[in-house]
Amino acid sequence: MPEENINENTGSEIPDQPGASNDVPAPSTPITQAGPDRSETHHFRNVILLWIALSIIGMLLVGFFGSSFFPPTASDVGNSANFTFVLLSVLSIPVALFVFVFLGYSMFAFRVKERPTEDGFPIHPTPALQIGWLGITSVLCLFLVIYGLFAFFQESVAAPSNTLVVEVTGQQWLWTFNYPQYGVSSQGQVLELPVNRPVVFHVTSKDVLHGFAVRDLGVRVDANPGEMTVTSVVTPNTIGSYTVVCVELCGLYHSYMWSAVKVESDSSFNSWILSQGGHL
Amino acid sequence: MTEVSEVKRTTLINTLFPSVVSGVLLGVIGAVIGGVLVSRLVENNNDATLVAIYTGWVLFFFIGIGAFNGVWKWGLDRRDATIEEDYQMAGKGQGRWRYFRYTTDHKVVGMQYLVTVLILFFFGSMGAFMIRLEQSMPGAIFFTPSTYNTIVGMHGILMIVSTIIMVSGPFGNFILPIMIGARDMAFPRLNALSYWLLFAAIPIFLSTLFVGGFPTGWTGYAPLADQSLTPGMDAYCFTIIVFAISTTIAALNIVTTVVVMRTSGMTWGRLPIFVWGVILSVILGLTAFPSFIISQVMVLMDRVFRTAFFIAAFGGSNWLYEHLFWFMGHPEVYVIALPAMAVAAEVATVFTRKPLFGYRLMISGLVGITVLSVLVWGHHLYTSGSATALDGPYMLDTELISIPTGLFFLCMIGTFWRGKIWATAPLLFVGGMLVNFVIGGITGIYLADLPTDELLHGGMFVTAHFHFTLVGSMVFGFFAGFYFWFPKMVGRRLDPLLSKIHFWLFEIGFLGTFLSLFYAGLQGEPRWSANVAPPFATANLIASLFAILIAASVFVLVYNVVTSYLRGEVATADEWGGKTLEWTVPTPVPLENFEKLPVVTSLPYNYGTPIPAKESATADTGFEAPLQPQAES
Repeated sequence: MPEENINENTGSEIPDQPGASNDVPAPSTPITQAGPDRSETHHFRNVILLWIALSIIGMLLVGFFGSSFFPPTASDVGNSANFTFVLLSVLSIPVALFVFVFLGYSMFAFRVKERPTEDGFPIHPTPALQIGWLGITSVLCLFLVIYGLFAFFQESVAAPSNTLVVEVTGQQWLWTFNYPQYGVSSQGQVLELPVNRPVVFHVTSKDVLHGFAVRDLGVRVDANPGEMTVTSVVTPNTIGSYTVVCVELCGLYHSYMWSAVKVESDSSFNSWILSQGGHL
Repeated sequence: MTEVSEVKRTTLINTLFPSVVSGVLLGVIGAVIGGVLVSRLVENNNDATLVAIYTGWVLFFFIGIGAFNGVWKWGLDRRDATIEEDYQMAGKGQGRWRYFRYTTDHKVVGMQYLVTVLILFFFGSMGAFMIRLEQSMPGAIFFTPSTYNTIVGMHGILMIVSTIIMVSGPFGNFILPIMIGARDMAFPRLNALSYWLLFAAIPIFLSTLFVGGFPTGWTGYAPLADQSLTPGMDAYCFTIIVFAISTTIAALNIVTTVVVMRTSGMTWGRLPIFVWGVILSVILGLTAFPSFIISQVMVLMDRVFRTAFFIAAFGGSNWLYEHLFWFMGHPEVYVIALPAMAVAAEVATVFTRKPLFGYRLMISGLVGITVLSVLVWGHHLYTSGSATALDGPYMLDTELISIPTGLFFLCMIGTFWRGKIWATAPLLFVGGMLVNFVIGGITGIYLADLPTDELLHGGMFVTAHFHFTLVGSMVFGFFAGFYFWFPKMVGRRLDPLLSKIHFWLFEIGFLGTFLSLFYAGLQGEPRWSANVAPPFATANLIASLFAILIAASVFVLVYNVVTSYLRGEVATADEWGGKTLEWTVPTPVPLENFEKLPVVTSLPYNYGTPIPAKESATADTGFEAPLQPQAES
């Protein structure tokens, strides 16, 4: 492939160009294809086998033990997100190993001790390799996009009729939780939720940007001053204590802007509502 | 006797004025004048006073350093500078002192940038170690929350600023013009201006420490930034404005240089890949940085003139800031990435003694990244509630970037394959970069994908991810270039053993630190938190222990650079056997670089193809660059 046919007209006008008249275009240097060299095929076979073997081991390990890296979740949204994690991790193992194995193999097999006195074997990508590589990476990428959109829209279902609405207001540096259906407000205290009942959070802020996040429920949304953001419908499915943290830097005591979350049985939730002066 | 002392005195005056000394002196005077005037005129507005001080400093600093001398000398005189005056401006015969003046020689500017970047890195890394210290134990015990927030913000901004300029500044100014066969940059005086603007921004930034720091972290989110309790915010905004102007000027200069100053035969298809990386990066910067300037001007107006661009109660919106900021903020990481990736490719060809595997493929990869990255910023706003309907398209575009990035990896792996791999420090850093970049890239998928980002947004996972890309990949790419070009720029060799120790300490410490933080992020640790909650304590402690290795690597680097600069071996002209044009000129590089401008007839990667000497890239310079076997250590 001749290199000189790309844009000879550079528009460069440097006054003294002593060699300008000698500017003979280089004869076309043909691309040296990676020929069927014996040592090359042997290296190539090794590295591909190594890659396949390590990929299988890695995918199995991540597939079976990957979920132990994540904290157990206490909601349907959290569970599906954890599944997506494991799936993406299994898929990314062969991709990462492709680079690691080729790089590592090259570093060991082709290393020279001293300053090299001769050049490496010049290879250039064949059109088949270029198209194949582009094709495979495009398919992987499209899979990610389609899967991501699918999983995302699965989360955004319409709220069932028995959905609990909790109004969350952030301010420097505490959270306020309102239960408009019950006429209850719990300022800077605990966010109490009944188990197995869908809940949706309406989140806003009084002063600056805050981030409302409960990792165990898979809820994370910004609290914007002057705007209301609504989370997707979440159903907590495990009784227990969790934490709300602020995940957008909001000033001095950002690191302390925590609140407790209590997921409890229906009867405890109802008695708590009554104890706060609410109505059922 | 009196005559001699008279001469001495005039030389001393000529040396000191104009120079950085007179610049700082006048700058301080200007700051005082500005501050006193405005505090008298406008009462009870600290922000106005601070902005006046900073404006006075910048204006008078540039008067003092002689940036406006051309206006008197040539502008009002209506004539061009003579050759002698140009040489004078370029620092001819001024020895070391030319580094402290408004010098136009691109090599001087490159060295100024290099030293500045290294110093900024040093202070930025000290901030990082303070953060690791604070997070090593649960509870905020080492710093007050306000100090901690300021440390986090200063670390962030110092590192972002220095990574933006780390390749395009030092190597883009010193190496790039030689690489394309030019005698200097297209606009040498603008080149000096871009560096000294950066210099002028540093004291402004440090002044934030004396007015109480700033609470917003590096992103400077409004309306938090609008709150009047924190005058240190003015310093942040002003620094960003000055810095972004400096970068814009530098970018224009680099683009013009590459477009019009290439030597005969240096077609676009023969440009070294490094030049491609830098020009694409600065073009991307030119589209991104205006919105950065605008966002900070608006914050300053909110603070000084009590406008309400970002205050919801008066009709403003914090989303406006977020969009303006990330419209700069995401292309900006590719502004950082592109030249560092190109450096890695350049270094890989030399140390594998192979042509770049797929030169055009890599260019198309870099171009693809440039184009796609302009429209990805919305993924920073997935959880913001702004324009939720656009989340899908942003996700598509973000994940599409993995395709051109994949081309980069293909080209790099192909370049290593069957090379004569000479494992020097630059090559080790390229290898480390590829490993870290894979991890950084793949963890980016979790953040680009909506369902998983919903769990990770604003968490430690994000912190670990962008440290893998910015530090593990791009700073490693910078260090590959640093070890590669240090002998050319400084004329001395770095100690190879210490260089390798630096690499291994850095890489092991880096992997340990940020893999632990990935784990903490998966458990749900929030970002920016001084007060580490007990469930994340172990991972954070491990991260902090590994950070000690990184700290050690910093000191190894400092020791290596200082001792090599003072008494390192003298480097040869073609230290590594490179074939790009900068290795054909003598070391130290003379003023104007080339005696005769070279004529280029092929790509500079013709390893392994026996090419007659006549047709090699250096044929007409009369300077052969044979591969002389040299002891490396």
